[in-house]
This record gives sequence, structure tokens and C-alpha cells, in this order.
Amino acid sequence: MSPEVKGCPQLRAEVIDRGLCALCGACTGMCPYLVAYRGRIVTVDDCTVEQGRCYAFCPRTATDLDAASDAVFAVPFDASPIGRAGEVLIARAARESVRSQAQYGGSVSALIAFALERGIIDSAVLTRSDASMLPAGALVRDPDDVQSHAGSNYAAAPTLAAFNREAGREDVRSVGVVATPCQALALAKMRASPLENRNNVEKLSLVVGLFCTWALDYSEFAPFLAEKAPLDRISKFDIPPPPANVFQVITDSATISIPLDEVRRFIRPSCNVCLDMTAEFADVSVGAAEGIAGWNTLIVRSERGRELVEAARAAGVIETDALPDESLSHLRSASLGKRRRALANIRQLSGSDDDLLCLELSAEMRRRLLDD
Amino acid sequence: MANIATFERGTSQLLMGNEAIARGALEAGVGFAAAYPGNPSSEIIGSLADVAKDAGIYVEWSINEKVALEAASAAAFSGVRSIVAMKHNGLNVALDYLMGLALTGTRAGIVLVTCDDPGALSSTEEEDSRIVAKWGCLPLLEPGTFQEEKDMTRWAYELSEELKSVVLVRGVTRTSHARGDVEIGERVPPARQSKFEPTNPLEFTCVPAPFKHLVANQKMDKARQIFEDSPFNWYHGPEKPDLLIVTCGSGWFYSLEAVKALDLEKSVGILKLGTTWPLPEKLVREHLSRAEEVLVVEEIDPFLEGNLKELVGEDPSLVGPVKFYGKRSGHIPIAGEINPDIVTAALARILDIEHRPVQPQYSQKALALTAQFTHQRMVGFCAGCPHRATFWSIKNAIKLDGRDGFVSGDIGCYSLAVGPAGYWQIKTMQSMGSGTGMACGFGKLAEFGMTQPVISVCGDSTFFHATIPAIISGIYNRANFTLLVLDNSATAMTGFQPHPGTGRSATGEPAPAVDIPTLCRALGVRVEETDPFDIKGTTDKLLDLMQDEGGVRVMIVKRECALVRARREKPAYKMRIDVERCLGESCGCSRLCSRVFQCPALLWDEERGVAGIDEVLCAGCGVCADVCPAGAIIRETA
Repeated sequence: MSPEVKGCPQLRAEVIDRGLCALCGACTGMCPYLVAYRGRIVTVDDCTVEQGRCYAFCPRTATDLDAASDAVFAVPFDASPIGRAGEVLIARAARESVRSQAQYGGSVSALIAFALERGIIDSAVLTRSDASMLPAGALVRDPDDVQSHAGSNYAAAPTLAAFNREAGREDVRSVGVVATPCQALALAKMRASPLENRNNVEKLSLVVGLFCTWALDYSEFAPFLAEKAPLDRISKFDIPPPPANVFQVITDSATISIPLDEVRRFIRPSCNVCLDMTAEFADVSVGAAEGIAGWNTLIVRSERGRELVEAARAAGVIETDALPDESLSHLRSASLGKRRRALANIRQLSGSDDDLLCLELSAEMRRRLLDD
Repeated sequence: MANIATFERGTSQLLMGNEAIARGALEAGVGFAAAYPGNPSSEIIGSLADVAKDAGIYVEWSINEKVALEAASAAAFSGVRSIVAMKHNGLNVALDYLMGLALTGTRAGIVLVTCDDPGALSSTEEEDSRIVAKWGCLPLLEPGTFQEEKDMTRWAYELSEELKSVVLVRGVTRTSHARGDVEIGERVPPARQSKFEPTNPLEFTCVPAPFKHLVANQKMDKARQIFEDSPFNWYHGPEKPDLLIVTCGSGWFYSLEAVKALDLEKSVGILKLGTTWPLPEKLVREHLSRAEEVLVVEEIDPFLEGNLKELVGEDPSLVGPVKFYGKRSGHIPIAGEINPDIVTAALARILDIEHRPVQPQYSQKALALTAQFTHQRMVGFCAGCPHRATFWSIKNAIKLDGRDGFVSGDIGCYSLAVGPAGYWQIKTMQSMGSGTGMACGFGKLAEFGMTQPVISVCGDSTFFHATIPAIISGIYNRANFTLLVLDNSATAMTGFQPHPGTGRSATGEPAPAVDIPTLCRALGVRVEETDPFDIKGTTDKLLDLMQDEGGVRVMIVKRECALVRARREKPAYKMRIDVERCLGESCGCSRLCSRVFQCPALLWDEERGVAGIDEVLCAGCGVCADVCPAGAIIRETA
């Protein structure tokens, strides 16, 4: 049975007011009531619609994972630690100029620019920060503009607001989205939504997922950061591999290292209940390749994803190589670790082993998620 | 409107109470009139302004009531008869000066009309002005008929000059705004020999205070003597009544009607007093001694009632046993407006008469009957009012900011934002300028842990009236708040009177305009200007100002009052609904325009599930087109 779809007041009570909002932006950009503003979802006025797209699309309301998987992959949910996976490999952008501006190997920028060039998509929803390091979604139509949206901000971004706002445009027919796990789940829920209005999700042609362990709360992190460096001078953030244990803020004149534990204080509580590290509902998921500097890990999940990666490789836009077995097993254990921590956190939050809050997972699904 | 200056002597005219007062002043040869508008007093100076040229008098809207009284008394000190009118709240503003004037006295006659508002029909509070007469040793007149409104005002000038004291004339909403026949007397032109020449250096000061206080009390003794024979005090009823009603002002007609309704003219007498402070003691004692039971009928506070009891208490043997009924006994309500039914019920209760009052369901029936012919809507801003757009932006900015910001407000049309019309945004509302004065306090509470952004609002007229000192105090003390001056270029709530910012005088002449942004910039604060109809721009600027935290910030939100504009020009836009685009109650809209934005010109067609425009009410401001999330409200150039 598919979970009940409720309205905006219930979204507020069950998700936002409980601190479970991931700030993915899926509930915004569709109406005047819910607005993403500087790191928060604001309810500007009271909405009386009983079944809202906001509630239906939210990745933190009750979700039928099998239905979401069916809508994306036409198969039930694959509960293995890194989700449904075809080929898993390492990749990087062929051009050094793309790699140098990217967080790791530049594969995401290269794939999106390639998809735009080839007409696989005519628009891409990407994320970009303004001068105050506030990230927001933006619709990009020119492959040359993709590069300026590269790099990770580490703060949660309501990127899907841009999809919701722009997908209705007549000149937008085929959209690609670069999505964090929560955003990829929201897009899957959009596809699977029982509501008549699924907000132009039929125009969604490609989801490039990003690995994610957590995201920061902008509204609290920005004032902290501003004390370390002027926000408009920051060009990049980075978390170098262990054992460094620091968060690096790179400005035009210096690199400032902040102990990672200080930054962890600003992780959105919602990230602690997230089961997904590798964006399991994307067509292709991309993250850092641990221990292989300058390369990405790629998980090819769907037929669309496979075609894109192969075409990009054939066109010489990306270079790929095999992922060492050891790295794959490390990835699987890290991913399973996030699931386990999340379920423990949810139980702690609800105060009961059986109450998984809005997750409403069946016992069978819980077993599948944890037993590997 | 009638030209009260050109009425012919001996004719009978149907005059509003306030016009009768103004005509009385003209018949006394008044030369100088000043006020700050405030209902129910506004038409007194308003009708004098309308005829200023014909009558050869000077009339001004002053910046506030205190300045009005100061200016008018300067004229009186210099030999020109003057009049000042204000509402009860205005008297509070003028009080500081009035107490000094009370000790100082005057040379030419000066009359201060104060209009109280029982039931607060057009006020934020109900307050009885009369206590000021007792406080300040000032003679107090309360006209009870329309003829008296005129005649007592005229006579007040003789009294003022005989006593060398400012004279208070007290009205209430019903005596000010109802109309009745008034027989017109001779109009006298004002004196033209004005000179300020004190007979001693301290004549026009209030010092030495103990001496002048003594003199003021002596003036009261003299007034008491004069009032004993005043034709404005009279008795109506049997020689020895079973019950004596003592009343004044509006209570006279109410009492007469009640006595007649219960057919009590043979047993109940009415002592109607026109001079209520100081009391004509002999006259009053004489009437009290003829009755054993007394009902006091008056509006607002038991002022007359208390004074009667005080008088009896001085020497009860002069009056004999008497039992009082009134507000203290609960026979007349202690709050709200009174009416003939209330007096009738009080009489019936005291005299144990079977009385069938108006049917209890009468008011509901009357409401149901009249409701058939009216448009159902809440108390709120007019269609096209800039304030609705402003409070929409304020609401949105406060929500987006997310730190529980709030608005402290004051008195004006925009006070309606304490309710649904302004989305319940104004959270404090007391007196002119009080929102900004309070912001000076709210804006200093950070050290006590307050993290909420503070916003105050005032109107353009209120800015001049009482807000400027608060701004300066806030700057000086480094208070942290954003002031929004809601400039609609009129003193709208009291009848669109001009003010120092409008470039027009009370009598319609061009006048220097004081520019609010320039004035604020000169104070050294950050000043922004915005058009409230630009909702996005206004919201963004306000958000930026709220997050600025740099002491006092000012934003002038400027757009002319829709009613003022509508008198001059046609609507800017013709609005229509694209029903194909209208989302109605479905997801994505949830009827934002008619349910949340709530302009009275926005309709909801329940049957078709789409929005509509009431073409009669719509002022064509076009703001709803920006509010609609679906682009279904279409703005076409009219």
C-alpha cells in the first residue's frame, strides 16, 4: 500500500519542525507557501490543500522504496549497500582544465556538459553559490556554463526548487539534474507520485547523483565561517583524506584549516537519519575515489546512465579505469555504515525500535537494508 | 457642504454639531483656529478652513495638538480670539501645555473644544476629557442641543475673557456628528488690532506658580457665581419629583426620551446642566434637596456623579438624605456608549416599572435585514490601499527572516494591521508615535537576550506628529530597529487633511513641503525608499534593513492613498482573471488571492472554483497580479 499523501501543515509538523528537513528543495518552487530562504524552508502562509506535492515529493515523508525504484529503474528496490549498481569504475574528465576546477575528477561537469552538447538533455539543474557562499539551484542550458557550477559547497542546497520552478517552461523539454541522495530520492518520489500533478517530472531525462555523507546547515555555518574568512573571498572547500581530519577553506590568498569536528557541529540533523550515501536513485552516481587522487568513483545504475557513460567515454570526454576490489568493498562498508547509523539515530529520535518516524519501512525492508 | 460663514442671521439651518460649534466661534469673532485632525472633532476646524477666506480668519492644521494649542493661545495673548479643537487623545498630547496655560490665563477669548468618543467608535480608546477641567481649574461647558453647540461656543468667549481663562467645551461623537436645526445669529469679523504687550513681565507665564494657582482657584469661584444664572442649566419636570435625573451633554436627549417613553413626566424631573465645572452649587443643591433619589446620566466616566456626591458630602444637611444611582451603582454602564434604551432600563429598574425594552433579537433582525443590501466584508483596508501591499511585504519579510521579528505600531489607517486586514502584523498599538518610541526600548534588549528584529511603523502624518522625537532618541541611544514610514500623502483616517509633508495648507494654499527622506537622512541614519506596490522590492529591502543591525534604519514606503487618488484620476489598470490559468483551490495556489491576500475586490466563484474581480470595488492597483502564483490575474492598462 502506498503511503498516505498529506498536506503542507503535516509536512511542517512531521518533517520540518522535527528537524528532519534535508533542504533538498523538492517542496519549494511550486507554490507561494513554501520558500527556501538562506538555509531554511519557510512556510510563508498557511496552505489548506489536503494532499500536496510538497508532502508527496519530500524525501523525509513516508516512502515506498519499491515504488520509487520501480519508477526509476522499473524494478523493485535493490537493498544492497550501494543500491542498484551495474558497472562500478573510476573515471575522470579527460580535460585537465575541467579537472582543475572540480572537486575531484571532474566527471560530473564533463558528463553534464557532454549531455547538453549531445542534446541528451536541453537543460541542466545544477548548484552554485553566491558571494555569501549561499548555494542555490540554477538552470543551465549552455554547456560552457557548466564549469562555473563545479565544486562542492558542503552546505545543503535547495537545488530542486530550480527544477520545480523551471521545468514548466515551454522551451525546457529534457532536463538533467545533479542531485545529492536526498534530491535523487525526491525526484524518484516525484516520478512515483500518486498525485495527478507530478510537476513536469516527465521532462526529467537524467539524474547524476553525488555521494554524500552529510551536508552543513547554511544558516548556522555561514556566521561561523564568516569569522574565519570573508565569505566573498572563498573559492573552494575541501576535506583532504584521513588522517588530516580538517575542513579546508581556500580563499584567493590563503588556505585555512578548520578542525573537522568544529565543522561537524553544523551538520543538518536531517543528515543523521539519511540511509543513502551513494544516491541510489540516480542514473549514475559519482563520488571521490578514495585513495586515488584526481579520480572519481562512478556507479552506473540505469540504462540511461550506462548509455551516457559509454558515449562520453567513446567521445573522449571522460577516461575510465577499473575500480580496485578493495576500494569497492570499502565503499560498500562505508555505505552500509551510514544506513546503520541512520537507523540507530531514527530509533533514538523516536524513542522506539519500531517507530521509524516518517520512514514507515516494513520489517522486511528493514531486514533487507541491514542484512547484507 | 454648507458655507457656515455666509448663513443669514435669523435663518434656521440644519447643522452638524461640529459645524454649529464652528459657527458659534464665527459669531464670537474668532480670528485664529488651529488643530490636528482627530475624530470626532475634525469637522470643527475643517469647516472653518473651508470658509477661512470668506470669514477673513486664519486656520491651520498644526503638527500636533500641543502646537495647535500653543499657536492659538499666542493669538489670544495678542488680542485675537482663537479656537482649538481636538479629540480626547489629542488633549493628552496638549496637556503639558494646557496645565501651564491654565495657570497663565489669557487676554482675548480662547476656547478648547474636546470631543470624546464613547464606545471608541473611531478611536483606540475611550477616555473622559472632563477630569482635566477639575485638574486644571478650567471652566467646562457641555452643550446638550444643537442650538447650544453654537450658542455656548459663542458665549464661551465672553466667559473666557471675563475669567481670563481658556474655556473647555466638551462634545461627544453623537453631539458632534448628529445634525439638528440651529437658528443663526450675527457673524462678527475678527479683531484686527493684534499686539503682544504684557501688562507685567510675568503676565503670560505660569510663575509664580503658587500665586497663579491661587488665582486660578479664584477664577473658579467667579465661574461658579456666573454659572448659577446660566441659561444653559435648566430643570424640566414636576416641582417635587420622585426621582431626579441630573444630566449633561448627550444625556439630555437620552433622558428626555426615556422619561417620555415610560410616561414619567409627572413624576421624574430632569436637571440638565450645561456648565458642569465648576458646578453651580446653589442651583444643584436646591434641586437635590427636592428629591430623595437621583439618577446621574452622562457619557464615559462618573465625573458629574462624583462631583455631585462631593458637593452633598460637604454639608449633607443642606440637601438632606439622597440616594444616587448611576455608573457607580451599575444602573448606567461604566464603559461604552450610552443611549435612550440604557436610560429607560435604568429608570425602570429604579422605579420598579414593568418595562418591555426593545426586543432582544432586534439588533440581529436589523442586521439580517440590512445585510441583504450590503457586501459582506471584514473591517479592513480599502481595495487598492497601499497599506495592504506594505503589510503583505512585512509579513513575508518577517517570515523569511525567521527570527520572530515583529512590528510595533501606532495610530492611523494602518492600525487595522492589528487584525486580519494587515495579516495581524502590528503587535503593539497605543498612541501617536508609540510604535517607534517602543522600538527605542525593544531595540535595546539585545543585552538581555532578545534576538528578534524590531520594526516600527508610523504614517506620514504621525511621523510629523509624534515620531520624530522617538527617532532621534533611538539614534542617540543606539537602539536597533527599522522604522517604516507608511507615507500615503494624507491624514487619511480623519478625512484626508493635508499635513506638513503634502505641500498644501489647511485652506488649500501651496505650502512648503517637508521631505521625510531628506529629514531622516539629515539625522544621519540609513534611509531607503520603496513603492509598496513593488512587493518584491519592498520585501527584499526590508529583509536587508532587518539584517543590517546598524542602529536606527528608516524605509519610506510611499504611495498615495487610493481614495485620494481615485478622486483625481481613473484606475491605472483594468484587472481580469484568466480562468484557464487560475489554479483555484488546487496545489500550487490554495486560493492565495481571495483567502490570504484578501483584497475586498477579489472574489471567489465557489461554483466554478476560480477567482473573480469585483469591478465595482477594484481600484485597479494591479498588486494582485504580482501576488497570483499562476499569472492568472491579468493587468491591462486601463
